[in-house]
Amino acid sequence: MTSTRSKVLWGIVSVLVAVYALFPVASILATSFKAPSDLTNQKFLPSPGQATTGNYEQILVGDAQGLFLTALRNSIGICLIATFIAVVLATLCAYAIARLDFPGKKLVLTTALAVSIFPVISIVTPLFNLWRSIGLYDTWPGLIIPYLSLTLPISIWTLAAFFRQIPWELEQAAQVDGATTWQAFRKAIVPLAAPGVFTTAIIAFFIAWNDFVYGISLTSTEAARPVPAALAFFTGASQFEEPTGAISAAAIIVTIPVVVLVLAFQRQIVSGLTQGAVKG
Amino acid sequence: MPTRKRNSARNRSRAGTVASVLAGTLLMSGCGPADGTETLTWYINPDAGGQADIAERCTEEAGGAYRIETSLLPSDAASQREQLARRLAAGDSSLDIMSLDPPFIPELAEPGFLAPVPDDVAESTTQNVVEGALAGATWKDELVTIPFWANTQILWYRKSVAEAAGLDMSKPVTWDQLMDVAAEQDKYLGVQGAQAESMTVWVNALVESGGESIIVDPEAPSDEIELALQSPAGLEAARIVSTIGKDGLGGPGLATQNENTSMINFQGDNGSFMVNWPFVWPATNGAVEAGTLDAGLIEDIGWGLYPQVAEGEDSAPPLGGINLGVGAASDNPELAYEAIECIVSPENQAEYFVTNGNPPANTEAYEDPKIEEAFPMADTIRQSLEQSAPRPQTPFYNEVSTGIQQTWAPPASVDPEGTPEESTEFIISVLRGEQLL
Amino acid sequence: MTSAIPARPVSPDLEQDTTPGVGPGGPSDKKAAAQYSDRVRAERRLGWMLAGPAFIVMLAVTLYPILQAIYESLFQFRLTAPGEREFIGLGNYLVILTDNVWWKDLGVTLLITVITVAIELVLGFALALVMHKALKAVRGPLRTAILVPYGIITVVSAFAWFYAFDINSGYVNSWFAWLPGIDSDLNWFAQGPTALFVIMASEIWKTTPFISLLLLAGLAQVPDELTEAAKVDGATWWEQMRKVIIPNMKAAIMVAVLFRALDAFRIFDNVFIMTNGAYGTEVLSLLAYRQSISRLEIGLGSAVSVLLFLCVLIICFIAIKLFKVDLAGAQGGK
Repeated sequence: MTSTRSKVLWGIVSVLVAVYALFPVASILATSFKAPSDLTNQKFLPSPGQATTGNYEQILVGDAQGLFLTALRNSIGICLIATFIAVVLATLCAYAIARLDFPGKKLVLTTALAVSIFPVISIVTPLFNLWRSIGLYDTWPGLIIPYLSLTLPISIWTLAAFFRQIPWELEQAAQVDGATTWQAFRKAIVPLAAPGVFTTAIIAFFIAWNDFVYGISLTSTEAARPVPAALAFFTGASQFEEPTGAISAAAIIVTIPVVVLVLAFQRQIVSGLTQGAVKG
Repeated sequence: MPTRKRNSARNRSRAGTVASVLAGTLLMSGCGPADGTETLTWYINPDAGGQADIAERCTEEAGGAYRIETSLLPSDAASQREQLARRLAAGDSSLDIMSLDPPFIPELAEPGFLAPVPDDVAESTTQNVVEGALAGATWKDELVTIPFWANTQILWYRKSVAEAAGLDMSKPVTWDQLMDVAAEQDKYLGVQGAQAESMTVWVNALVESGGESIIVDPEAPSDEIELALQSPAGLEAARIVSTIGKDGLGGPGLATQNENTSMINFQGDNGSFMVNWPFVWPATNGAVEAGTLDAGLIEDIGWGLYPQVAEGEDSAPPLGGINLGVGAASDNPELAYEAIECIVSPENQAEYFVTNGNPPANTEAYEDPKIEEAFPMADTIRQSLEQSAPRPQTPFYNEVSTGIQQTWAPPASVDPEGTPEESTEFIISVLRGEQLL
Repeated sequence: MTSAIPARPVSPDLEQDTTPGVGPGGPSDKKAAAQYSDRVRAERRLGWMLAGPAFIVMLAVTLYPILQAIYESLFQFRLTAPGEREFIGLGNYLVILTDNVWWKDLGVTLLITVITVAIELVLGFALALVMHKALKAVRGPLRTAILVPYGIITVVSAFAWFYAFDINSGYVNSWFAWLPGIDSDLNWFAQGPTALFVIMASEIWKTTPFISLLLLAGLAQVPDELTEAAKVDGATWWEQMRKVIIPNMKAAIMVAVLFRALDAFRIFDNVFIMTNGAYGTEVLSLLAYRQSISRLEIGLGSAVSVLLFLCVLIICFIAIKLFKVDLAGAQGGK
């Protein structure tokens, strides 16, 4: 196998994979530039000369601005907080699981697994009733708490796997060399653990960002409504016209952070995901 | 914008407080702002901004007596109802004014979720209101909401197609005539065949046009409800739906066709006749202005009353629209009704029609000259409203409607003999709690 | 937003608490048994102090609601008829389990689960192989491309696929008109099979990257020497796969399949956006949603939810007992 041939082969494979992965995104991107009356042109691209940024204007500076921008703010805020809390709690928990011996370790892991397979739809109604009665309905905490049920389990599993791989002897070695416990931890362990924690944060953020069911069921106003739920609130020019363009434009905007994170951290995310799930 | 911010800030601070003091907050959250002006929250269905404008105007007119803040509900009627029903059931005091879809009103009125309408308000807001809209605002002979705007479907047609078929459009036409023309001319008949609320709208209009109502006694408890789907009117409705479906008269997209997509097909080369709401007019004009549709199209569009089922018998066109209700737990029901009186004034209704395309429930509003200009078919709409019939008024509307949608869609699967019976049995057993929906 | 921040909260605990009892990996000290048990106790306490908060939060967000759902499922209770709440024992379950709708939806859900997981497994394996073998130069771009579907919001994916196939706005019909059975009159969402095809396509597109990453991890664990040895022995590519690579990744495959199957079984977003359950595309999550949220029949809806949860438990149980998927073991266990 000559190297040119393999390069060409890999070039083709990469293009195929890229088309697979990016085509639907490109599709909705093209839709987002279609004018409302051009939506039915049955073509991938807007009709020539008809391409418009009107849909973006509608959601960023126009009618739907209040709806979309507040939803975007809610989504970002809620997801960041939920991610932060999940990562903090999971770091503590995973450290204990990886390094300490205590009864119930398996129980914690099993619980995390059970929670992660929980049908979200099953707990939405009881949560709704509970949130109503204690005033958490339609608030940020009212979404952050259920988001923890999505982000915590995977964070614990991913981090536990990460921490198991850290050569903790380094800490002792550093201590032997005269460092204090704190210094040893900071100099030897943090640099090894930080990438894992960071990766976990990105994965947790993706999961929270993806939620739809909690978003539509536990909010009712701009106070807490996240983006995926807000997409269902867009309207066309009247009650019966479909907001295809606005939805597409909003879809593209909420996909931008995903693409940026992926571009910047693909290596970390891949290693985080692959280590979290299976480690022989 | 500032109103939204205040609203969300209030909610968030409420959440914060709750974390520390559980019980106290529920009492506190109802407090108005410090300046003494009571704030009323109006939950609106999404529109082109017309309700927010009215809220602003009425706030100004009130001169400090109250201020109206709007809060958006989801875009489809079923989700709107779900949000409101949950909040009403939980006794939420922020539900001062609500924009309600009439079919769901009995469900909210029956358990007493709605504050009673004061007599003087009832008196002043119902004069000149079309009968259908009034019926939709009433539950068990009592006015429980105030009609705001009323929608109705009319028959839209392409003049060129009617001419080619030699159909005299100056007189009311029947479904059979339309089906014949569509078949002859090889064009699509515009109806809504999707498994959605629009299916119930269609079936109800057909049954009502045939002189029956889907529910025989709408006020009966769930296990005693009787349906008239197997009456001659119901069978005739099944025949029409089935023929349009089986003969492909609605085009290939019929099974997923809603109001918007049927309009798109109507505007296209295969357009012929279509039953649809008035939004078609501004939407088509908009597309022509944007240059995506040919300008000649506007000239080719005509309109008339909803088609008849039996020749010579007035049709009963679909009725839609929005009524305004007040939550029973509202802190200021009197003030809320005062605000509603302002909202539904004929001037506001006329303005709303012109700017947002939603027709007034009050016939007086149609005298506004602006209306004739924006909607040349305003007279037809008004007449259609007067003939229109509401959908079944029952607390179990969701069950009845979903049951119809599941058995009558797609139209091609409707069996003129079997479907009415199947539909009846299904709905009855769901209502008795013997079956899932 | 710096990577150090999330790690910091660990440190105070470590500083205070791990110092006295060096840690399990530490040099074994030959002190008295009493001291040893002190250390063990301290470690246990610390373990629970660290793991406890996460554990409690997880229980609080799921255990309470499910208990509440079980309780509610024993009542006939409609939100808009609060006065008519009535205890009916297992009546709701009887209604559900004797109704065709439940079994039909269960069938659709299982069908989606089986087909999507099977295709994802094959496709994901191919992608994993590609990533595993890829030249250094394309590895980064490949990973980036594959992660895009993973990170995208499911609702967005659903809309993208829906708009592409929709008879009015879509371009799929005109692009693929040369295929038998596809023409401009094909209404994808008008009948179950074609609608499910699009729903599953969206689901597969969005989640294959996840499964391929899990498989990539498994692939990385297959010792190179084994593959090399097989190659030396003259094994074909297929024989290498079948005899060496796949047996060595069995654990990874099992875990990937189980995770995805449980996820696919709970499918909601795609169906909700594309068909809302019309024309034989209704799945169990949507059934639960319709009873409790659209109909406001809290009792009936809770019962569907509980049954859905039981189904998930059964799948999990079967996988673990029958196929011996050792999740904790896969994690590295003890």
